[in-house]
Amino acid sequence: MTVDPTVPGQRRWPLPKQADPDAPLLRVEDLAVRFRMPNGSVKAVDGVSFGLDHGEALGIAGESGCGKTTTALSLVKLLPANGYVKAGKVELFGIDLVPKTETQIARYRWREIALVFQGAMNALNPVQRIGDQIAEPIEIRLGQPRESSRKRAEELLELVGIPRERAASYPHELSGGMRQRAMIAMALACDPAIVIGDEPTTALDVMVQAQILQLLEQLRRDLGLSLMLITHDLSVIAETCDRVMIMYAGRVAEEGQVRRVFAAPRHPYTQKLLSAFPNVRTDRRTLEVIPGLPPDLRNPPPGCRFAPRCPAAMQVCSEVVPPEVRFADGVRVACHLYPTSDLISAPDGLTRMDALGAGEPQS
Amino acid sequence: MTTTAVPPAAASPIQRRPPPAGRARAFAGRFLSRSDGRLGLLILVFFALLAIFPDLFVGKLETATTATGKSLQPPGGGYLFGTDELGRDILNMTVHGARISMTIGLMATVITVMLGALVGIVAGYVGGKTDTILMRISDFFLVLPTIVLAIILAPVILDVVGADAELFGIRATMIVIVVVIGLTSWATTARVIRSQVLSIKMRMFVDRARVVGSGPGRIMRRHVLPNVINLIVAQAVLTFAIAVFTETTLAFIGLGDPFAPSWGQILNSAQGAGAPGLGAWWYIAPPAICVVLVVLAFTLVGNALDDILNPRSGVRR
Repeated sequence: MTVDPTVPGQRRWPLPKQADPDAPLLRVEDLAVRFRMPNGSVKAVDGVSFGLDHGEALGIAGESGCGKTTTALSLVKLLPANGYVKAGKVELFGIDLVPKTETQIARYRWREIALVFQGAMNALNPVQRIGDQIAEPIEIRLGQPRESSRKRAEELLELVGIPRERAASYPHELSGGMRQRAMIAMALACDPAIVIGDEPTTALDVMVQAQILQLLEQLRRDLGLSLMLITHDLSVIAETCDRVMIMYAGRVAEEGQVRRVFAAPRHPYTQKLLSAFPNVRTDRRTLEVIPGLPPDLRNPPPGCRFAPRCPAAMQVCSEVVPPEVRFADGVRVACHLYPTSDLISAPDGLTRMDALGAGEPQS
Repeated sequence: MTTTAVPPAAASPIQRRPPPAGRARAFAGRFLSRSDGRLGLLILVFFALLAIFPDLFVGKLETATTATGKSLQPPGGGYLFGTDELGRDILNMTVHGARISMTIGLMATVITVMLGALVGIVAGYVGGKTDTILMRISDFFLVLPTIVLAIILAPVILDVVGADAELFGIRATMIVIVVVIGLTSWATTARVIRSQVLSIKMRMFVDRARVVGSGPGRIMRRHVLPNVINLIVAQAVLTFAIAVFTETTLAFIGLGDPFAPSWGQILNSAQGAGAPGLGAWWYIAPPAICVVLVVLAFTLVGNALDDILNPRSGVRR
């Protein structure tokens, strides 16, 4: 499962100089991101911690505005002008990226952490050939001459299943699926250690969506890629990811192996989220709705941020921020329902995993 | 005789990046396959030939001393377009006028579009203080009335450099006209392009380019400029039309170079000679029709270029 990053063919470019070869690929600790607003500061991400191993796929799920994309973009400081990382650590190969200056962090963008954007049509320049657009990061980030960058771009197109002749096409000449494939090829341009997919399949129909997910899966296997998949489609995560992180209002609600989390959701929010998702195996019935709205993050409720909407809320929930509880099966949950003593055994739960159609995780 | 080392033809009939020469040929093919492009180009080539080799068509420029005809002779009898009050051949003057009018139009257009595009793209993309400063400067030039500026500038500049001064073989009077047209029309182009750039820079592919590592210069050159090129072409056409008209106007009211018989200058002489009152239509029609034809040709060519240079427009039709 773990891929040696120095094996040729899997990583063509040397690791950054200060990299610690024994350090985990990515470790995020207590990340806090704020947005300055005219009427106060929005606590978009608050105390988020997670890790990503070589070759692993992590799914990040949650409602709109819960901080999924912000978390991912803040890793390489791609936040809008009014956003900033207030606290925490982002360690890539053991190098903390948070104190890096804009020029220093630029070296990590795309070369180490690349993005697959949502809505490929908008992320592609309509009047530039696909091949030239894929070659752009190779030219800039790796300083390759234009000709060899173009050649590499054609290879990348082939890698994602597009005939290399298509390098001379303009975006409007490609189908939606091909455009998304081209975006993936662009993300792979500099052999990054981590690819972040921000809703990579949202704008596509189900068939194409399945093909794209299959492609990501295959690339992960062949190239030893590490994936972060941001989506609100839980079935996508069930299908492609090893681990899942459920976020709510800028905090991690629950995190763990996909199979374990989906089979026995422990956080009330995860439970609600899963029952709000259609289940093909059970009878057709009205989906559950989580009443209420996510809180205003300029002024989040004290204690657990889900407390106002939580069916299991207790007195303590609205007063104390729930600490993270780690279960014996590796699942982390931030909820007062569980005692804080270490290593509690997993509760027996519904076998939701089967219902969502997920197979065994890759490990 | 032939060896088998010939590479197989590309499987796909489209999409292979052709070599630069092939691309140029493909572009020419697409341009010439359009009737508007063909007609516009034909007219422009015709006038370009007149402008470059006027002597080949009508001989040397006739002056008052070399004039051969009688005063205000109507068309016919060896003078296809008739003669002016000094007996000069109107055809001869009109053909020689093409060079002046086209040169001034072209130079003014190049200056206007280059300055306008540069200011528009930088102001729009960089934004902030740069935008404010550039736009206030453009405001100033936007409200300058062309004719008034020309009336003030022309004698001043001529007095400073001397009416006979030359720059790259171009007489100072012409330079004045070019500068005046350029100064008063770049701001419009800058405004139009800036507004388009403002919307383009919000598009996601610009963000993507920034993330991928492109600096502002590269983004403006590789991502913003190609997306406004159709606008630039349209502005160039418009500016050319305006430049030719302005030159004609300035020469007509007497601010042209009396020794350079531009179309406006001919119209000025016609007016001075009282041609409209004398019914000498042949004195007025040829230069006027030439102005219209050149402007029309540029519009046709501009339209065709706009459609071809914009890869998306191929889908719509």
